[in-house]
This record gives sequence, C-alpha cells and structure tokens, in this order.
Amino acid sequence: MSAFAKRTVIESDVCIIGSGISAAMVADRLARTTRGRIVVVEAGDEAPPLGQRYGLRGRFMDYGESPWPKDHLDGYEIDGPLQSRSMQVGGLAMHWGGVTPRFSPEDFRTRSMFGVGTDWPISYDDLDPFYQEAEELMGVAGEQGPASMDPRGKPFPMAPIPLTYNLGLLKEWTAKAGITMWSQPVAKNSRPYSGRAECCRYDTCSPICPIGAKYSPDFTFDRLRASKRITLYPRTLVRKLVLHDGSTRIASAQAVQRSARGAGTPVEFRAQTFVVAAGYVWSAHLLLLSASSRMPAGLGNRSGNVGKYVAGHRNQQAFISLPIRLFPGINGQHSLLTKQFMRSPAGKEYLRHDLRVWESTFDRGPRLTGDDGALMLGDDIMRDWRERTRTGVARVRAYYDVLPDRSSELTLDPARKNAWGDPLPRLAFRDAPESAALREHSVGVIQTLFQTMASAGGGTVIQREEDDARGWQDHPAGGCRMGDDPATSVVDKWGRAHDHENLFVVGAPTCVSAGCANGTLTFTALALRSAAEIAR
Amino acid sequence: MPLSRRAFLGALAAAMPAAILIRHAHAAAVDDLAASPRILQALGEAVLPSELGRAGTLAAVSGFQRWIAGYRENVELVHGYGTSALGKSGPTPATRWAAQLDALDRTARAEGARSFATLPLERRREIVRRELKALKADRIGAVGRAPHVALALLAHWYDTPDATNRCYDVHIDRENCRPLAASSRKPLPLARVRA
Repeated sequence: MSAFAKRTVIESDVCIIGSGISAAMVADRLARTTRGRIVVVEAGDEAPPLGQRYGLRGRFMDYGESPWPKDHLDGYEIDGPLQSRSMQVGGLAMHWGGVTPRFSPEDFRTRSMFGVGTDWPISYDDLDPFYQEAEELMGVAGEQGPASMDPRGKPFPMAPIPLTYNLGLLKEWTAKAGITMWSQPVAKNSRPYSGRAECCRYDTCSPICPIGAKYSPDFTFDRLRASKRITLYPRTLVRKLVLHDGSTRIASAQAVQRSARGAGTPVEFRAQTFVVAAGYVWSAHLLLLSASSRMPAGLGNRSGNVGKYVAGHRNQQAFISLPIRLFPGINGQHSLLTKQFMRSPAGKEYLRHDLRVWESTFDRGPRLTGDDGALMLGDDIMRDWRERTRTGVARVRAYYDVLPDRSSELTLDPARKNAWGDPLPRLAFRDAPESAALREHSVGVIQTLFQTMASAGGGTVIQREEDDARGWQDHPAGGCRMGDDPATSVVDKWGRAHDHENLFVVGAPTCVSAGCANGTLTFTALALRSAAEIAR
Repeated sequence: MPLSRRAFLGALAAAMPAAILIRHAHAAAVDDLAASPRILQALGEAVLPSELGRAGTLAAVSGFQRWIAGYRENVELVHGYGTSALGKSGPTPATRWAAQLDALDRTARAEGARSFATLPLERRREIVRRELKALKADRIGAVGRAPHVALALLAHWYDTPDATNRCYDVHIDRENCRPLAASSRKPLPLARVRA
C-alpha cells in the first residue's frame, strides 16, 4: 500500500531530501545518534534489489543496456553538461566506481598556501574523523601511503585490494620514473564486510557490482528501513521549500508523489530540520525553485551565491606502450595512485594534480586490418593479436585542480520545464581567470611528466587525451559553497544555510572547490560532519 | 506456392503496425537462423581461428545465435557521464544479418557452388573479404553495430573471455568471479593442445 494512502501531510523531526550517498550518511548518523523521526524523500524509483543485479549486469555486458532501468525522470534533458541522469534511491552512487581517495590537506588551503582560489572554512584535520567514519560506514579497503603525502588519523577499516600482477609490474615502472605509487583506496570489500561479500573481480564495478562487494547507498537505506529508523518515500519529487510565516525557518517541503498517469498527488513534509542532500545540481536547483515574495532570489540566497561556483576538475590522460608483458583483465578497474603532485612546487606556477595508473587494452585489441591495411580473417587475426600483445599498455591519468569562477553556475532555464511546470536547471562550467591562465601550463607540465614516465620504462606515449567533452568538468561539486562570510557563501562550515537556521545543505554542493581527486568520499565526510551538527 | 519466411514478412509489412512488424521480423529472423544454421556455421569456420576446431566454432556460432535471439529493441542503454542525453537500442540487426547470409549463399551459387557452406575455406574468405571491402569495413567494433554479419560474429567471439585467454595463452578469465587473493600472481597457463 502506498505510504500516502492515509495522509498527505507527513511530519518528522528531520526531513532529508534526496537519497544519494550523502543522504545515506546523514540518515545513518542521525539514526545512530538521535531518537528523532527521520524521513527521506526521493524523486526517483527504488533501485533493483541485489538479487536482480547479476542478470542486469549480463544484459549490460552483452547489449550495453542500462543496468539500472527507470533510474531517471522523463523530460529532464537539460542545457549543459549534467554529470548523470541518474535519479533513484541510492542516487549516482548506485553506479559509481567506488573510488575513495581523500582530498589532501592542501585542497583546503590553496589561497593561504599557494595564493590562488579560496580557502575552505575547515581544514583537513577537521574532516579527518569524518573521513574515517565514512570509510568505516561504507567499508573502504586501502593502503596507507607515505605519511607525508597521505596523512590519516587511523588505519583503513580493511586491508587494500591487492595489486594485480599487472599493477605490480607497473608500480616497478613508475618507481623508475621517481614516482611512489600505492593501491587506490576503494569502497569495495577486500574481505566480507558489513554483511556484504568480498570482491571477486567481476570488474564491472561501474556501472554495476553484481554481488554487493562495492558499497552503494541502498544497503544503508535497506538496513535503516528494516530497523524502522527511517521512512523513505520514493517517487516523491520535492518541488519547493516553504518558509514559516514571520520567520526565516523552513516550515515544509511541498512535494508531489509521482504517478504513472496524471500530475500525481500533492504531499507536504513538515519537519524541525530540513536537509537538502540532492547533489550539486538538484540542491541548488531546489533552493532557486523555492523563491517567494519574501525570498525572490530563492532560499538561502541573500548573497546571490546559490548555484554559483560550480566546481570540477579536468584531466589529462595518456596511453603508454611499454616493453613489458601485461595481462589485461585481471582486475582492470583497480589502479595505482600517488599524491606526490598534490603540492604545487614553490616558486613555480600553480599546478596540483593526482596521478593514477591502470592496465589497458588500448591499441592491444583484436583488429581487422593489419599495418599494411590488408583485411585479415581466420587465424590471421589471432596471430596478429598475439604478436601485438607481447608488450603492454598503461593508462595514466592526472586530474588537475581547476578553480571555479563565480559564473561557473547553475541557473533556472526559462525555456525548459518539467512535467509540473518547474524550470529545469541550466549548467555551465567556467574557470576562474587565474585558472584559465594556467591551463596551458598545466597541460604542458603533465604531458611532460607522461613523456618522462614513458622514457623511464623504455616506452612510448601512443595517445594523449583531455576530458573536456562539451565543457564538462569531472566530479562536479559546489553550487552552495560553504564559508564563514554570509556575503560570499551559502552555508556555514557545518552546511547550515546562513539565511535559515533549520536548513542544511550537505555533501557535494557545499564544496568550495573540487580538489584534484574523486570527490565522493569528501562529500560523504562533509555530510557526516553536518549530521553531527544537526544532532547537536 | 507457399511463401518463404522473408516473402511472408514482406507481405506483412503492408498490413501491420510498425512495432508489431519489427517484433515479428526479429523473431522470424531468429527462427530462420536457428532453422538453417549451416551458412552461419560455414561463415564461422571462415572467419574465426581454426584452433577453435569444429566444436569450438560451433560453440562460438551458437553463442552468437543466442546473442541475436536475446536482442531487444528500443531498450534504454547505459547512460554516460557528462550529458543528460539518453540512448536506446536500435532496430534488430538480425534481419539485416539474415539477409547478408542469404547474399553470401547467392554469391556462392552464382559462382557455381551448391551453397556457401560447400565452398572451400579460402573461397569463402574471398567472398567475405569482398563484402567487407564493399562496406569499407576496417575494424571489428561492437556486435550490435556491425555492418555485416561476418563482423558481428567476429566481434561477438573476440569479446569473450575465452578469446582473451587464447590470445595470452593464460587463464585471465576476465569479468568472471575469481579469488581476489590470486590476482597478484601471474596468470596460469592454459592447459590445452593447440590444433
């Protein structure tokens, strides 16, 4: 029976809007540390249960079909480089790669350390215990890197995913180039953990792990629902937050329970505290949609910064042919990592980047035509393939820091509306002028590094790539950035809106910058820190 | 005179809604391939490595037939990052591929053979090469987008873990469940006798 069958007003102590990975962290911590009634509201559908995922993976592998059917709302084609259409219970983290590096201490202090960007109102040390908590909740398997590059207060909860035979060889190669690398931390089980299976190298972590060895937020929500600590309302789109009469507190979230036909059923969520946990797009979007005569620019937006400073990073990637025999496919989604380049060298132009190395099949797949252009069939294809795989290829990639401009933004698009008449967001990434000026330098230095690596192994760079499709930047964040000054930020260092004492925005949208590594672990640590403040 | 399966489909085309027609066309092509697998088997012998042997080639062709039978049109494909655009699977390639198999057989008959399947291997390869050159085919690519059934068969088999294992002559067994602890060691050699 529908959760709405008997009433259309739902009251709680905490109403969490969105059910992605940050929402899961907030719900989990509040469930453990408070006795309050917690509701989670999700616009999308339920994700398929674990038992169906092996079959869904099969269809994905054989036919490229989406392993997450019905994971989006129809009619949400937006103007701009949206990270993903995914909108379901569990959010984007249903199909994430499970890669969980921490940001580096330098990420939080680029202005004071390097004279560029904006310092965060919190430090790495402030976040360290929440990083740890997130790693324990999700189950992160990691290898401690050198303490000078990879500081942490406590050990990883799980031993690292073992380096494959291939990565062992590639680690020896990078050492010759003077680069210290180690096993990439991941939210994948290197042993049975939290009732979930050990990873067995199915190697389709993104988009789908068929056995639940990779963490996804549905596991947290399933557990919290089973223990009746939360109530989750799927298929329920929050359209607007509404203020109390006479105060700046949020009174309710006005939503619609989607139906297959028609406009759906209006629902009102009332709560003491509202937590917007809808990612870098839909969080700012909801605040802008919540404009009223008292707050004509939207909620939390007296500074005019809601939707501004949307941040991400670019990468440079190369494929390097090496005179070593690799066996691609042992565990292809796992990689080596270093944080050796997270500190911008003193006295030089600003550049910070991560570096990862994978085995690759690039330029080593079976082919139809030989070097002479002649078409091959039968034994010739296999003979040619065997010959070309006597040497291996490494994929190397560096995410470099891109400082966001205020005009890197999400706005409401008057030309595109959803089925309920609400404007859809419009997205555009723009570098801050200082970052734009550094782009050519950054690319040049990283390409030189790749060339140095190739030479150290007696290899050759056979392909260079930059991920800048349609102006997209990877691992996007921001849009409701945190700060101490209400004039230049949307939320405080806990994620509380400067303008509304009972409104929190958590996770990705609160980031000041996107650093130069995958951001999900940082989003979850920030969300847990917000939850600690909410519980207080 | 009874209508052939494809002639029957042609007659249906004028009378049935497109969606129903496509569904029937796919099913008919799948049935057709299952009912007369000789040409496809002969094509497999011509384009796949001989080390598979008769049984291995038969298994590869059967796997390809199962792939065709399992194809679904207009199904949402995995959506990529950086765009809000969604994609769906296209029309069944089965009808096109079935017609191409017929064309291979017609060519063989035109050259005096009883069928494509009775031609010597090298003659079959010549015909396939001619077809692929006419299509300007230069890569194996993805199964579903293969412009010719020969390429689709190649793409399907070369994408299997078995093909990778054979290439490297070791048990990589990619994308299969394998103990995590074993990943650090060099993959074990295949225990097999080359044909």
